Amino acid sequence: MSQYKPKVVCFSCKFGWGYLTDEDTLSNKIENWIPIICTGKIDATHMIEAFEEGADGILILGCPEGDCHYQDGNYEVKKRVYLLRRLLESIGIEKERIRIELSIDPKGRGIPQLVKEMSKELTKLGPSKRSAVAEEMPKEAIKARGGK
Amino acid sequence: MVKPKVAICWLGACGGCDEAVVDINEVLLRVADAVDLILWPVALDFKYDSVKDMKDGEIVLSVVNGHVRNSEQEEIAKLLRGKSQLVLAFGACACLGGTPGLANLTTKEDIFNWVYCDAPTVVNPKGNYPQTSSRVNGKELTLPEFYDRVYALNNIIPVDYYLPGCPPPPYSVMYAVSAVLENKLPLKGSTLAPQRALCDTCKRNKSKPDRLAIKEIKRIHEVEAAPDICFLAQGIICLGPATRDGCGESCININIPCRGCFGPVEGVADSGAKFVSALASILDAQSEEDIARIVDQIIDPVGYLYRFSLPVSILRKRRG
Repeated sequence: MSQYKPKVVCFSCKFGWGYLTDEDTLSNKIENWIPIICTGKIDATHMIEAFEEGADGILILGCPEGDCHYQDGNYEVKKRVYLLRRLLESIGIEKERIRIELSIDPKGRGIPQLVKEMSKELTKLGPSKRSAVAEEMPKEAIKARGGK
Repeated sequence: MVKPKVAICWLGACGGCDEAVVDINEVLLRVADAVDLILWPVALDFKYDSVKDMKDGEIVLSVVNGHVRNSEQEEIAKLLRGKSQLVLAFGACACLGGTPGLANLTTKEDIFNWVYCDAPTVVNPKGNYPQTSSRVNGKELTLPEFYDRVYALNNIIPVDYYLPGCPPPPYSVMYAVSAVLENKLPLKGSTLAPQRALCDTCKRNKSKPDRLAIKEIKRIHEVEAAPDICFLAQGIICLGPATRDGCGESCININIPCRGCFGPVEGVADSGAKFVSALASILDAQSEEDIARIVDQIIDPVGYLYRFSLPVSILRKRRG
């Protein structure tokens, strides 16, 4: 287990996190980093898919409460995360695997630190259990039903 | 003129889908005139062996309902696929896994233990469990193998068309049948139902306020729901926003919210996940405590949001 390194997918809002630093520089320091414009854009489908693709945890970094460029995107994602945690818990994915931070960090120096902290927490939990049935569904069938 | 051969078959099904075929009433007689029904286990006496003797592609259309959970169902599905030019997944179980798909939240072992041992009405002192093969009086008896999980039809065989619903309403059955007979079928892989969401045609849509804001979530049996007001506006979870239209609002008409039997709208793979986003956005909660309080009012979220579609969702199955 000493070799185990949890895979954390980090979504962060470009309005509040790391906008003063070059994105390439920051992405060298953060694995699986997805800077986006407004965390309100993160759909439950994206989060579930991340787990299915092998993520052990998801870290969402949004703007401070009341400071969303689009009025309430950060507040919307917060509610979504609460609801999704309830859903995932009932299929065996622990609620600690999704963490949300609403704050501001223009230089983005705190992002690698937050990922590291979450990674540490996840090491205690161990790898996220996957359904291990993803390969069973023929690709054409998923496409036929409108999936990717 | 040689009539086109058609098969109607059930796999893991309750019989409701076959009933839906019968519900097209006298039109069924016209269908029976126009086609040669070569298999319909629930209604007519035919043998699977006679299907095995057919040439590949000899059957024009196989209408298959029910999910797949054992080796016999898989065998029949594959047999029909091989012998048919077109396969129509009929009903929620064939298209999405259906309500039996919720069994993916538990394991095969737990199901066997409950059904053959732990349930209070079961007497099984010898601890007998079904075996795929056993010897009785020198003869071998076999049973199909029970799989670890429930599959939708397209998890097992390629499917050409989908007609969801629990069961599909008679007019959509007629539409599907006449589309095949008149060769007016849409692109392969299509669902033979409208592409939009149920809310688009729901009569209650007009009663919806400009901005929905749910402060309390109520279950349908706990309140007396107003008969013409949007369920979500009343705080009752209705899956209409994330569910495909085409059912004729049979639940809404009897004052029951949508449960999602028509599956996701076009272009969406997982209706439950989409509904999470939709529902979260209309929760009217300010503080974290408030959000937690409202969300905790949803008893069994997975059962509610994936009632018919767990086997084809991204979640598919309980972990571990």
